[in-house]
Amino acid sequence: MVVGDISTGTEVLVIGAGPGGYVAAIRAAQKGLDTTLVEKDAYGGACLNRGCIPSKALITASGLAHEAGTAEEMGIHADPAVDLTRMIEWKQGVVDRLTGGVEKLCKANGVNLVEGTASFVDDHTVRVAHGGDGRGSESIEFEHAIVATGSRPVEIPGFSFAEDHVWSSEAALAAESVPDRLVVVGGGYIGMELATVYAKLGAEVTVVEMLEDVLDPYEDDVKRVVRKRAEDLGIEFHFGEGASGWSEAGDGGHLVHTETEDGEKSSYPADRVLVAVGREPVTGGVDLEKAGIETDDRGFIETDDRTRSAVEHVHAVGDVAGEPMLAHAASKEGIVAAETIAGEPAALDQQAIPAAVFTDPEIGTVGMTGADAEEAGFDVAVGEMPFRASGRALTTGHTDGFVRIVADADEGFVLGAQIVGPEASELIAEVGLAIELGATLEDVAATVHTHPTLSEAVMEAAENAQGQAIHTLNR
Amino acid sequence: MTIEEFRLPDVGEGVAEGELVSWLVAPGDRVEEDQPVAEVETDKALVEVPSSYDGIVEELFVEEGDVVPVGDVLISFRVDEAGEESADTGSADGEPTDAGSVGAGSADAEPTSVEAEPDTSSGRTFAPPSVRRLARELGVDLGAVEGSGSGGRVSERDVREHADSGDSGDSGADEADAPAPKPVDVGSGDRKSAVSKRGSVEETDATTMAESGAGPDPADRERTLATPATRKLARELGVDVDEVPTDETREGEAFVDEERVRAYVETVEAGTSPELDASPEPDATVTGGVESEPAPADPSVDAPTSTAATVSTDADDAAADVAPDTVAAGDEADAPGETIPYRGVRRTIGQRMEESKFTAPHVTHHDTAEVDALVAARDRLKPKAAEEGVSLTYLPFVMKAVLAGLREYPILNSELREENEEIVLKDEYHFGVAVATDAGLMVPVVEDVDEKGLFELAAEVTDLAARARDRSLTPAELRGGTFTLTNFGAIGGEYATPIINYPETAILGLGAIERRPVVRERSAIDDEFFGDDEEGYEVVPAPTLPLSLSIDHRVVDGAVAARFANTVMDHLEDPLLLLNE
Ligand SMILES: Cc1cc2nc3c(=O)[nH]c(=O)nc-3n(C[C@H](O)[C@H](O)[C@H](O)COP(=O)(O)OP(=O)(O)OC[C@H]3O[C@@H](n4cnc5c(N)ncnc54)[C@H](O)[C@@H]3O)c2cc1C
Repeated sequence: MVVGDISTGTEVLVIGAGPGGYVAAIRAAQKGLDTTLVEKDAYGGACLNRGCIPSKALITASGLAHEAGTAEEMGIHADPAVDLTRMIEWKQGVVDRLTGGVEKLCKANGVNLVEGTASFVDDHTVRVAHGGDGRGSESIEFEHAIVATGSRPVEIPGFSFAEDHVWSSEAALAAESVPDRLVVVGGGYIGMELATVYAKLGAEVTVVEMLEDVLDPYEDDVKRVVRKRAEDLGIEFHFGEGASGWSEAGDGGHLVHTETEDGEKSSYPADRVLVAVGREPVTGGVDLEKAGIETDDRGFIETDDRTRSAVEHVHAVGDVAGEPMLAHAASKEGIVAAETIAGEPAALDQQAIPAAVFTDPEIGTVGMTGADAEEAGFDVAVGEMPFRASGRALTTGHTDGFVRIVADADEGFVLGAQIVGPEASELIAEVGLAIELGATLEDVAATVHTHPTLSEAVMEAAENAQGQAIHTLNR
Repeated sequence: MTIEEFRLPDVGEGVAEGELVSWLVAPGDRVEEDQPVAEVETDKALVEVPSSYDGIVEELFVEEGDVVPVGDVLISFRVDEAGEESADTGSADGEPTDAGSVGAGSADAEPTSVEAEPDTSSGRTFAPPSVRRLARELGVDLGAVEGSGSGGRVSERDVREHADSGDSGDSGADEADAPAPKPVDVGSGDRKSAVSKRGSVEETDATTMAESGAGPDPADRERTLATPATRKLARELGVDVDEVPTDETREGEAFVDEERVRAYVETVEAGTSPELDASPEPDATVTGGVESEPAPADPSVDAPTSTAATVSTDADDAAADVAPDTVAAGDEADAPGETIPYRGVRRTIGQRMEESKFTAPHVTHHDTAEVDALVAARDRLKPKAAEEGVSLTYLPFVMKAVLAGLREYPILNSELREENEEIVLKDEYHFGVAVATDAGLMVPVVEDVDEKGLFELAAEVTDLAARARDRSLTPAELRGGTFTLTNFGAIGGEYATPIINYPETAILGLGAIERRPVVRERSAIDDEFFGDDEEGYEVVPAPTLPLSLSIDHRVVDGAVAARFANTVMDHLEDPLLLLNE
């Protein structure tokens, strides 16, 4: 009839309910561990609320509007009117559905949900400050903790997100209207995705990038396809320039000032400026040092291949644990953290983590590039298939780009792929599977692919790498 | 091969000895450097003692429960040369092998490494994720496994064989010299993945039976799953994949890989007769099922020299392999409709109940207080309390009455500390009040009941109960009780057998205050009216409060409990006495 003295204790405490944290919590609960998940803001983290999902919703919607308006070649004449308010509402509906789903899943799996901001008191206790007046705080003792506090957009000097006309990616995903002129500072994947959205919605978009090209980590021929298409959409690029500040312009708008390394200055008129220069880990405020955890000079928590920090019973997963800062990487790490705590032999032993950029056209990559493979000591075989040789690509009207597959020339093992083109984000999955299973070019090539589909291009690229492609000339 | 002794290391400042609480390994187990081998409790903490060698456990010198001085020999290991070498480079992140069941690692095996990039020319071993995980589980370094697939791709079977080979020979050269192991068996299936689990019970059984009896017999299937590369290999070797024996299934269909194709070809070429096989008993599939970890194939079974005995053993292994899956599938089918997680607050409650009920022998004493006067007193005070914004229930009166009882019988306000051989009489009166919440039962504590007035107690109880319901109590507010009250009567009922809020000594349960028949002496006037033939008693309806007092009989006896209850009842029946409290 009676229980006393419930010390609020838990076997596994997870801080942050993004794709790293909530996945870890669910898996831990599935393993029979008493699990508590603390979230200060919204279930689903950056990914569901202000990242992957809302951005993909707007990319699809703006793409649809743009495509409908530019299909004269197919005999379609339309001038779609875009109601941005409605579009944002629809996006929000998608987000709400997913975040509600995350909360339900957590509950159904027996995860204890606590709302509030967690900070370490010592290496076995956190204090959770509940939001709102007089809601107070509570202490939770834990046996194991998983830090999954994620990341936030980096601010640069001169551009405070507190200013109405300075957008973070989050603000750009909740805009009330399409600005006439948008300057995007940063040509990384977030900048490029959002530049494309607003260009398609009718804004005049200028991208300012410090480096000499967009999408730094990708190979030149991959970047080129995306940049050229962006230019066709009317996006203007200024490379080698860093944004230094802004001033009011006479017309009620603003001027964004930039500077090259040699001190050459330029200004670009703008109604809004989107700053997308990267993301930094959320570690301040969590009092990691009280648990004995140090961060590296960029603020990331260093972890081993079982996601353990220097303090072994405290794990870190997701963006806060460093590159790659991607949702699916966060989730994989979350699973490994939970299973490691449950005593299972889990580890981050994947051969490759795929990555996708949802520009027009998309980029999907996994594993090694040709150069990577050579550096790793492989004799490299490379095969390509341009989408302009794909029947299905032609029927969609999108023929920019190619599939490139990289393999070990001796045994044929697939090592990586770079895909730029329609549905590249989906196509890359097949190559990811091939890499993980240790499949060979022959395995991929001899697997019958449906016709007519874009995925045939993967098969063709594998044939090409063996010098026997049917639909392209072999090199 | 050397024997190394391992002594209890200095586990912490100033600790001179420790009690060996439990061994985490047994003789014959393979351990890795840094793997915990024992739990040792010092007066400061319970610590796991890590091994400083890679090797096989030779002997344990200390029994569980022994107190060991620092520096005494605990355990000895058989350490091989390569193992010693690698101990230096040994990866600290190697998963401790569950070596007891495996006896892993050939002599030249590297220590476990979970690094994805073992030592091959191009720095990579090709193996699917399930195989990589198995390797970690068995403590096998993938880079050291010779893959039997095309181009050296490593399969689950390769990993199991590698793990097994460590046991089979002392000399690491064995493996390198011997021809690549090509077991003839068609059993000892190497895949226990979710994929093969999916096959229905019947299919799995059928496959097992067929294979168990088949030995190297050509299978004769209508359909076989195989990758394109395997099919090509089969064609090149002139083999029909439908003939290749296998116990592996995917999606319920027989599955054949390159390795099986090769093994089959070799078997056939070696002229192994199908008659070699001794048919295992059919129910091997069932009896074998108790073994959860399939025995790895014996690598010494080389096709040309295999004997009937080894073949059939392997076939049995196959049965053992498949059966657990079969059982699991059956279990799943029988699963009941809904399951509720036993975790969090529910489990905490459960554990506390268990601890209390199984530690303290409970005795529950029942009695009933006639509370006419209490009802009247409370009715008079209620409006006054309301003026001060306080909702006055009976609980504060009961708390005061209990206080009176505890002052007279302090033994009920106590805690038994068995290990110290003492009963601590508390000099504070902190009462827990049980509150039913959505999450389960919570017991916030009202402190210093002796120092607070009725209204103060009422206000505090109301506040604590509300905050228990919205879960905003602080842990401190749930701690430190010396006696507990549970007012189940608020929901209904008369008597219960409350469980003590351990380590307290007593708990008082309150039934509902209701009019119930009570026997009372007739008043003088009635006597006149009824005359002398009546006995002088009558049954009248009167408000009563049923009490259920549970005590820890180790600490206190029933007589004291009854006397305590009497005192409490006296105070409830004549609330003026409460003025004294
Ligand atoms: C515009 C944009 C587009 C993106 N697109 C993609 C994409 O297409 N694909 C992809 O893979 N990735 C994408 N990302 C990246 C992806 O969102 C992140 O990699 C992912 O969200 C990281 O997950 P996480 O669990 O580590 O952290 P987060 O998702 O950032 O979650 C961390 C959570 O922790 C909470 N929290 C922080 N501190 C505390 C505390 N002290 N107490 C309690 N709670 C706390 C936060 O409120 C947050 O909910 C995108 C990001 C952005 C901004």
